[in-house]
Amino acid sequence: MVRGRSLPSCGAPTGYIELVGKTWQRVLAVGLAFVVAITFTFVFAFRAGRRARHMRGEDEPIQEWMSVPFIAHSHHVPAATLFQAIGVQPRLPRDRRSVRRIASDLHRPTPDLMAQLQRALDEAAHQPPRP
Amino acid sequence: MNDQILAAVSKYGAPALFGIVTIAAVGVPLPITLLLVVVGSMVSQGAVDLWWAIGAAGAGSILGDQAGYAIGRWGGPAAIARLSALFGKHTGLEAMEAKAKAWGGPGIYITRWLLGPLGPWINLASGTARYPWHRFLLWDVLGELTAAVLYISLGRFFSDRVTALGAVLGDLTWAIAALLAAIVLGYQLWAHLRRAR
Repeated sequence: MVRGRSLPSCGAPTGYIELVGKTWQRVLAVGLAFVVAITFTFVFAFRAGRRARHMRGEDEPIQEWMSVPFIAHSHHVPAATLFQAIGVQPRLPRDRRSVRRIASDLHRPTPDLMAQLQRALDEAAHQPPRP
Repeated sequence: MNDQILAAVSKYGAPALFGIVTIAAVGVPLPITLLLVVVGSMVSQGAVDLWWAIGAAGAGSILGDQAGYAIGRWGGPAAIARLSALFGKHTGLEAMEAKAKAWGGPGIYITRWLLGPLGPWINLASGTARYPWHRFLLWDVLGELTAAVLYISLGRFFSDRVTALGAVLGDLTWAIAALLAAIVLGYQLWAHLRRAR
């Protein structure tokens, strides 16, 4: 079968072969896209399920954008404990500065401050609960 | 970029939220679901007022969506005419308009809160297809308020797990988008095979 040419001698309409060829190309493309879409559905659904299962057991990691009260809330620790651990007097009424901003104000590398906060959280987790 | 946005909302609260969701609704890809969940956590900590948060998120999103619709309405047909001339094909603006009217409402609503990444494209398409503005506004307001209430409430409820929750919701959004695409493509294949038999 010659693609790209019509066959006037056999009485087929002009462009028939091209039309059939293009139709099958289109079906193949839609079929491949369908397989890709199904694969993506399962991959993302599986990832969502796995993350949801682990959500309860894992601690929220400290990130640069978080404020100290936000970190304290996520780990159920008083904010004052964390401020004390990093040697910062919190601004009143609520210190909303991010960890990165505090590190910048203290002229310290952000990863160092994050590590110090993590150590304070670890210590707080090992202390017995208050009566 | 994401860190700066989250830090800005954490520091400045509702006004920053309003500005960021407006920009995102026009089409700049920003992590809005995670942002709303974080705001929900801030609400539970007393750092942001609940009604201000819902109001800022809803109003900002609606404003951005309306801008996207306006761009499509007044810039879309001209862009389509240019593309048609470039590729030598008739685009069928009338057919597009009829389809938008038939499927527009639920499509607009769903892409406000369940399939957020598609929202800006639907805004442009609705404007280009001359979907009636008052109906677009109605579905847009309903959808954006659903998004704000849903994600901020989830953030309040899971206030100590916001980044993990944001990741779960992100994956779920893509899973649903892929599933919808699979349904549409599967239907096309099935219809073709039925015709071929």
